[in-house]
Amino acid sequence: MKIQFTEAQLALRDELRGYFRELMTPELRAECERDMGEGGGLLWRAALARMGRDGWIGLGWPKEYGGRDMSPMEQFIFVEEVMRAGYPFPFLTTESVGPTLAEHGNEWMREEIVPKILRGELLVSIGYSEPGAGTDLAAVRTSAVRDGDDWVINGQKMWTSLAHFCDYTWLAARTDPDAPKKHKGISMFLVPNSDPGWSCTPVHTLGGVRTNATFYDNIRVSDAHRVGELHGGWKLITSQLNRERLSLINFGPISELFNQVVHWARGAVYDEASTVAEQPWVQANLARSRALIECMKLIVYKQSWAMTEGTLGMADASAAKVFGSEGFIEVYRLLGEIVADSGLLRSHSAGAQEQAARIERLYRTASIITFGGGANEIQRDIISAAGLWMPRASR
Amino acid sequence: MDFGFSDIQDELRGLARKILDDAVSASTLLAYDEYAEPRFDRALWRTLLDAGLPGIAVAEEHGGMGLGFMELGLFIEELGRSIAPVPVLAHCVSGMLPLQQFASADIQARLLPPAARGELLLSGAFWTGSVGGAVEPVQALPAEGGFILNGSCRGIPFARQADWLLLPVHSANGVAVVLVATDAAGVQMTDLQMTHFEPYAQIELSDVRVAAADVVMASGGEALVAWTREHCTAALCAQQLGAADRAMRMAASYTSERKQFGVPIATFQAVGHRMADCYIDVECLRLCTWQALSLLSEARAATTEVQIAKIWAGDVGHRVSYACQHVHGGTGIDRDYPLWRYCLWLRFNEVTLGSSSAQTAALGQRLSQGEGLFT
Ligand SMILES: Cc1cc2nc3c(=O)[nH]c(=O)nc-3n(C[C@H](O)[C@H](O)[C@H](O)COP(=O)(O)OP(=O)(O)OC[C@H]3O[C@@H](n4cnc5c(N)ncnc54)[C@H](O)[C@@H]3O)c2cc1C
Repeated sequence: MKIQFTEAQLALRDELRGYFRELMTPELRAECERDMGEGGGLLWRAALARMGRDGWIGLGWPKEYGGRDMSPMEQFIFVEEVMRAGYPFPFLTTESVGPTLAEHGNEWMREEIVPKILRGELLVSIGYSEPGAGTDLAAVRTSAVRDGDDWVINGQKMWTSLAHFCDYTWLAARTDPDAPKKHKGISMFLVPNSDPGWSCTPVHTLGGVRTNATFYDNIRVSDAHRVGELHGGWKLITSQLNRERLSLINFGPISELFNQVVHWARGAVYDEASTVAEQPWVQANLARSRALIECMKLIVYKQSWAMTEGTLGMADASAAKVFGSEGFIEVYRLLGEIVADSGLLRSHSAGAQEQAARIERLYRTASIITFGGGANEIQRDIISAAGLWMPRASR
Repeated sequence: MDFGFSDIQDELRGLARKILDDAVSASTLLAYDEYAEPRFDRALWRTLLDAGLPGIAVAEEHGGMGLGFMELGLFIEELGRSIAPVPVLAHCVSGMLPLQQFASADIQARLLPPAARGELLLSGAFWTGSVGGAVEPVQALPAEGGFILNGSCRGIPFARQADWLLLPVHSANGVAVVLVATDAAGVQMTDLQMTHFEPYAQIELSDVRVAAADVVMASGGEALVAWTREHCTAALCAQQLGAADRAMRMAASYTSERKQFGVPIATFQAVGHRMADCYIDVECLRLCTWQALSLLSEARAATTEVQIAKIWAGDVGHRVSYACQHVHGGTGIDRDYPLWRYCLWLRFNEVTLGSSSAQTAALGQRLSQGEGLFT
């Protein structure tokens, strides 16, 4: 038990901070801001490819994929720092789909797709949700029908984020409509978004984040695009979602935001006699946020450690997801109270302040991960069953 | 970054749990309810001493195991899990540890070996007041190289059972720290009745003489007080962690067995989710506490981390206590069922040495001065 970074880990963190100070040019920042913190622009693409070339994206990956063979902890430090720097890192591709492809994919995926992901040259969107399949994901109706050596895919996906600039979609499709249990008839595919039968329309959300409805119209792919076992997609989905849950909770940006708000509050005038930071209620909000973010940090560090040891438990992964997603909302509220009505000004407004405008936007985006990535109700079901051995009602 | 237990830590936890499981149960604790008897199981204390556990963090040269505060904290977590009636916090954390850290070699050689063997029982006046609470109003006038003490201390655990008390006192040069024999002339004790039935006494001192040899620090005692209170606070967090984890698991088992409407009540999503929230809470307390123990064990600055751990200890103790009572229904508060005593301890640990609100205010003030930010 030693809950501190090693000297080498601290050195890595400092090296990364230096690297990103240089990488995050004002032009790149402006582009990311324009794209609502989602990425996809030209400068963003170039920066991703540079991180790939410089060997950062695959830091914790085995050499055979072009990685550097360090542990999940080092990989985690990289992701934390890239996010802290304010770069919208495509972590779903690199941290969740990538590893799942490496584990379950065929030769083509392992030898071409995965190394390209680690070079920052290939992006994958996630096609699970449908108009009728949300939390109950096994209800997907998009179909893949065998035709000779190929598969023909038809259907509609909903909320397919980043799909408008991704190269492939990691798609859940029904391959056995007659399976007695609906989650037993699903297979996973890697579908090229460049196919003429593929199309998407934007969906705009409260937080300004764009997502998409995607359409699959007689898309024909070879069997090499199928991932894992036939009708065995559910296992891959849960494995990917477990990894996704871990990467959703990243405390880098929020700890940075916290520090910035403290600095701001110490200099900001509250009334003739005192600064914002001198108000007892502000101090209480700061302390509450600080204590909450500290736990977020420890929870994710523990998970990275458990991944390194190969002992990651289901209940703990779900606990991190619930705590983190609800914690973000709480912290945005507490910090938002401190910046007060300047946190109601949008970033392009006259008089907007950088931190306050960021809180204005973050507060609008924060609900996504309480229901996305497996609704928190489902996570709490998992925690009481897997963490406390409590029986649960059948669904 | 290592969240795993070393082999020695694993062994110590296993050993402590085995001894405590064998010796402590609802039926043994019954004897102390409502102060029917002083809550001190001397046979268990002897067993723990023979196993060397109270001396975990005492140097080998003084007869201890020579391990760190981390290991002591893990032992205290087990004590919290069993709410064992033994004076480990008083004797080890507010007695032996500050002596080992601050006292002269003479005092250490005289007191630590018998204390580690349990021939002497120590306690200290570090358990009252809020965050950074004031030194109790005891005035010390210099006399023959030592002091003469007058004043009072509000509450010292196991004072009546102890042989020596470690007292911070006010002298002309600021804070001094002295050892007072509990049978010294002029020491008067009044028993307190605490919510959790632990032996506590209030002390009156009238012209109590302290020999030069019993002065731990003639001046500069503020450092000892701050150091000791920080360790005491972390120890309370560890005790809270064990107690909260145990109460939560009791509720999880109970709701899995108890049926209403023909099904186990655990299968109601609202019940499962309330317990899931306890699980998350306890995990947060665990990680913050372990981090605080780990830093203190390495003699690193840990003020922020200890404050954060105590914020969680207060909030989690309160929430887990009421969630567990609630999902048990009437059984939870029935004195024939073991949960209720845990609720008392969860409350004691919550409030002692600064509640969540008090710790929040203290941390907030430090943050407003630019201390304790993320690195
Ligand atoms: C911005 C954004 C980006 C997204 N990106 C992607 C993406 O890239 N790929 C993708 O596939 N999907 C994506 N999603 C979809 C997301 O995963 C779904 O929104 C999520 O699975 C919830 O499904 P739903 O919206 O249909 O809500 P529903 O399933 O209708 O659930 C609504 C609410 O019902 C309650 N509920 C449901 N089931 C239960 C239960 N068993 N017990 C208790 N309560 C329950 C919960 O409170 C839940 O929040 C995205 C969504 C958004 C908004």
